[in-house]
Amino acid sequence: MAEISTSEPVAILSGVAKSYQMDAVTVPVLRDVDILIRPAHFTVVLGPSGSGKTTMLNLIGCLDRCDKGSVTVAGQDVNALSDDALSDFRARNIGFVFQNFNLIPVLTAFENVEYPLVLSGMEPARRARRVSKLLDLVGLSDRAKNLPGQLSGGQRQRVAIARALARKPKLVIADEPTANLDSQTGAAVIALMRGMQERYRISFIFSSHDRGLIGAADDLITLRDGMIQSIHRKKVSVETESVDSPGDNEEDDE
Amino acid sequence: MTLSLAVRNLLRNRRRSLATLLALAIGAASILMFGGYSANIKYSMLSSYVRSGGHLQIQYRDFFLFGSGNPTAYGMPGYEKILTAVREDEVLNKMVRVATPILQFGGIGGNYSAGVSRTVVGTGFVAADVNRMRTWNEFDIVLDSPRFALEGAPTDAAIVGVGVARVLMLCEPLGIKDCPQPTQEEATKGAALPSDIADLAASVTPGKTSSPDAKQNGAKLDLLASQGRGTPNIATLNVIAAEGQGFKELDDVAVVLQLEQAQRLVYGRAEPRATSIMIQLNRTDQIAAATKRIEALLAKIEPNRPMSVLDFETLNPFYVQTLQLFDTIFGFIFVLIGGIVLFTVSNTMTAAVVERTVEIGTVRAIGLRQSGIRRLFITEGFVLGCVGAVVGAAAALLTAFVVNRLNLTWLPPGSTEPLPLTLMIWSESRMIIGTTIGLLVIAVLSAWWPAYRAARLKIVEALRHA
Repeated sequence: MAEISTSEPVAILSGVAKSYQMDAVTVPVLRDVDILIRPAHFTVVLGPSGSGKTTMLNLIGCLDRCDKGSVTVAGQDVNALSDDALSDFRARNIGFVFQNFNLIPVLTAFENVEYPLVLSGMEPARRARRVSKLLDLVGLSDRAKNLPGQLSGGQRQRVAIARALARKPKLVIADEPTANLDSQTGAAVIALMRGMQERYRISFIFSSHDRGLIGAADDLITLRDGMIQSIHRKKVSVETESVDSPGDNEEDDE
Repeated sequence: MTLSLAVRNLLRNRRRSLATLLALAIGAASILMFGGYSANIKYSMLSSYVRSGGHLQIQYRDFFLFGSGNPTAYGMPGYEKILTAVREDEVLNKMVRVATPILQFGGIGGNYSAGVSRTVVGTGFVAADVNRMRTWNEFDIVLDSPRFALEGAPTDAAIVGVGVARVLMLCEPLGIKDCPQPTQEEATKGAALPSDIADLAASVTPGKTSSPDAKQNGAKLDLLASQGRGTPNIATLNVIAAEGQGFKELDDVAVVLQLEQAQRLVYGRAEPRATSIMIQLNRTDQIAAATKRIEALLAKIEPNRPMSVLDFETLNPFYVQTLQLFDTIFGFIFVLIGGIVLFTVSNTMTAAVVERTVEIGTVRAIGLRQSGIRRLFITEGFVLGCVGAVVGAAAALLTAFVVNRLNLTWLPPGSTEPLPLTLMIWSESRMIIGTTIGLLVIAVLSAWWPAYRAARLKIVEALRHA
């Protein structure tokens, strides 16, 4: 059983601005964004293409740095961290699910899920137990030895979800995780993520331009032209007691 | 995991990896084969010099620099004392294979019956010692060292260079083939001379070696030398053979005789001397230790004489120059092939970075540090270098095995006999290790820059890469 705090916000963006340089032109992507991501909630970021969804997720995921403002994730001001410290921070606290799955093609499903655990230095026997459990959770135990090229899109995304959960992150960020899936498979992936979120009380935040996903969200953030257009939060009762961690039933080891 | 990932990534684009490996392997094999050829030349020359002149020579200090003008002035009296000390020393007798005196001197050699003479450089040897020296073969080199014909021959026997035989008109009595004679002007056609006048003309015309005297006398050589006090002395020698000396300059002056005969010619009834004591060791790597020991011995035996101990490299500058030439060529080839390897591996790794940009972004997002990315690509370069160098070394060894069994020959400079063309690779473990490590370092360095660039990629840009 692992202790996951469910009271403090998992991410806070305050006065955040971000722009990109395209040739000689500076293109503002996010303007003065203030947002709070609640812990153990399923947050959906909606908005049309170019609205700044991916940029916002990149900032929350510590993949990029803002030009202005502050980004606090899991209680840590990430702007202050060096590149190495930020890498370690991401490894410990954040899981990622990508639109194109981004599995490492030369590694099997098992090894892809194992990879973050290898980086953490976990001993092989424990790694193997946890990976097996995760693959079981996403329903791919029988595909453990398959390479990504031998899996369907939906299966690959489920492996990616298992990989994102491997190090028991506080936050999982999914940038348009259903964009490359058919609607049925996409719905199944969302259901899987939702199930994981509810079971392990991890914060999930994912972006989409599919308004059909509104029903799945606890919190709904709508972006337009780099600014917050609206925030809708459902009242969700959040247990404050300890909850299961994904991947094993052992004591918390990280 | 890094190594496993590196190997799997290399196997992803097999054709490209194979092309890179081939470049590396061919490069490594080329370097090693040239090195093997070069090693063969080195050991052939070394063996040749050590067989003829030993590893070390004990001389009067200035003999090497000034002795060629007047060798007899540098003769060592009481050289037997030094020889005995060297042979009986408890340390040296384990290292020394042969210790033998020689006497060099200048003189004039003449063939009276042919009416020709020339300046020569005479050397007196102990023939049995020379034959023993000729059997030395530390490096298992296939070198044709014919038996020294003076062993068992009478005291007045001599061997001359083929050039001396040619100039002194001794080719015919010695049965030397391919011995050109000076071109004679064609006699003016006219009425035939009476037979008695023709015989007389033939006997006084240079270049005519078939006079009845010459045939009857065999190959006689009159050797005139200056004794210690400047008085001339002459010895009539029976030339029993002519031996090619490799270099024309030496071939045209060399006269070799028994030491005893040479000493009698140069010193008469005075105390016999030797200009050098040649020392052949069991192993070449004993040179430093033997030199030190001999110097200590000389300081004890001959405290008032300026003696020196010279090694074969000092005595044969041509050997050192040849090695330097081959070392330079080897270095040049290594740099050339190293450059090719550098660009090949670098190109391969750069292409891999471009192809795997999204993956780089992904593993960075998951938490791999920049150093992890660098390590991954450098490991790929290392694996390429390792496999390429090992395959190259194996290919070189295999080629050497085949070439060494084809019985190919070549004629090295300074040699009269063709030598077997062999590639000495297997015995050159230092060269194999050095080349392997060298190419490995180049492969790793080649991967470093693409790896550095991969590590510096911005994660979001890498993830966006199409």
